[in-house]
Amino acid sequence: MDRIECQWCKAQNEPERTSCNTCGAPLDKRNLVSDSGWSEAPRLRDMTEFRFSNSTCQVEGEIVPVAELALAQGDAVFFEHHVMLWKEPAVPMAAMNTGGGMKRTIGGMPHILSIAQGPGRIAFSRDAAGEIVVLPLHPGMELDVREHAFLIGTHSINYSFVRIKGLTNLLHGGSGMYMDRFITQNYPGLLLLHGYGNVFQKTLQAGEKILIEPGGFLYKDSSVAMNTVQMDIKTGMMRRGMYLAEMNGPGRVGIQSMYVHHGSE
Amino acid sequence: MTMQGQATYTCPYCRMVNNDDGAATCPRCGAPVDIRLRVSNSGWCKQPPIRDMARIRFGRSTCQISGAYVPVAEMELHDDDWVYFSHHVLLHTEPRVRLESMRMQGGWNRVLAGIPLIMMKAQGPGFVAISADHPGEILAIPLEANQGIDVVEHQFLVATGNVGYQWNNSNVWFTTQSGDETEWHYPVGRFIDRFIAHNVPGLLLLHAPGNSFVRDLGPGERILIQPSGLIWKDPSVQMFLHFEYPRGQYWFSSARWQAKSIWLTLQGPGRIAIKSVFERPELCGSVRKTSGATTQYW
Repeated sequence: MDRIECQWCKAQNEPERTSCNTCGAPLDKRNLVSDSGWSEAPRLRDMTEFRFSNSTCQVEGEIVPVAELALAQGDAVFFEHHVMLWKEPAVPMAAMNTGGGMKRTIGGMPHILSIAQGPGRIAFSRDAAGEIVVLPLHPGMELDVREHAFLIGTHSINYSFVRIKGLTNLLHGGSGMYMDRFITQNYPGLLLLHGYGNVFQKTLQAGEKILIEPGGFLYKDSSVAMNTVQMDIKTGMMRRGMYLAEMNGPGRVGIQSMYVHHGSE
Repeated sequence: MTMQGQATYTCPYCRMVNNDDGAATCPRCGAPVDIRLRVSNSGWCKQPPIRDMARIRFGRSTCQISGAYVPVAEMELHDDDWVYFSHHVLLHTEPRVRLESMRMQGGWNRVLAGIPLIMMKAQGPGFVAISADHPGEILAIPLEANQGIDVVEHQFLVATGNVGYQWNNSNVWFTTQSGDETEWHYPVGRFIDRFIAHNVPGLLLLHAPGNSFVRDLGPGERILIQPSGLIWKDPSVQMFLHFEYPRGQYWFSSARWQAKSIWLTLQGPGRIAIKSVFERPELCGSVRKTSGATTQYW
């Protein structure tokens, strides 16, 4: 029987489907790739529904989208508590200690992540114009995400955080002190991110490099090395204040088009 | 589209004549060619958003617009072509693109006005991508040789190397008194940018928050707009302030003097463009001096 492969997540779908059952990407529209190889993250249609484990996720709205989950018994998701938009009263909540203690406070990250367990419905949104990026994670994957960009992760994903090393990276990298790291081991998982503005992804070959605005960084495979480099260009009367993030493959890099730019003269 | 014979058409948005090669978008400004011109009853023409992945040609290079909420202009620069922009709009670049700084004249005044002191120059070959980090639309304005336009400050995104950039006093101001201090107000900004394509055609990209609308003003025709709603105008369009005071207040009450509308009068001939997102007008006291304004008491 013929199957349709999703161009975004590579999952196989039944031929009659118009959106991917695993990530919600439209199957009847071509993947949009720019001349330099950046793919647009699929723009999910309003009310698109897809599945993970025994649960479903429906994405509503287009400018500030909402992810509404119908959690099945035994399924759970974790998230930063302030991204919760509404929930049914019966959905049990728990807390997950991230183990970072004071380091996370200094880094401006929450000590505790919230966990919602099924059965029941719960919805999430970050209150800014942008796109929800759906990243199904196969077993054995590691993904690094800019802090405060992740919306939800499913219970099969291990969460940790990594310190951004190097003083230059820290001071001029524009990504804060830490990155969230999501790891899958024996089971697949689903990760939803919120990208500000529009989101684009490029897959770098081994040794291939690209320079990006540090505030535009959204996610990367942990195999991609990220270093902040100072450009030898004057940006003011006295200073050379331009720093770009050099991404060195192999692996995927995701960027957002609405970014934090840093003070300059 | 206005057909001119079999082989060419004139884009109704940028008014450039193109070869009619069946492309879905205008190769000079990226506007869709297969849609109807949408004009309001009062004569404002809605500038259609540039379609995702539409390509615009300039020199021997191309510019591809991607994204819908916060669009990105990705340029594939030929060896001979270069563009300039403010450094904080750079989104990504290939390492082979040569980036250099381009010092602007009148540094201190630019610092005071909050506009970039130094522009960045990107020389091909290679890909470089630009994005203003606000929801809105990218407006592509192709300029014929020696054609110029006036652009309100902070709208500029990127221009091709052959487009000259000057900045002049907007000469639209008024003063109010606060105690012993005189406050100066610049409703369209202290400076206005003028871009002129020298000798050969050029391309100018602007970023406008919200939606944008364009209209032509006939000779002597006037229209009042919110001062912060202006995006660009032809240099032939004159602008000055207009104060309107509502009826129903005593002439000596401060409310009468403060409850006023501050408009920007645009007087043709020429083309103007406005945006649907603008700053809320500031409350200010009675007007003392102006750069030249008309007044209406209702």
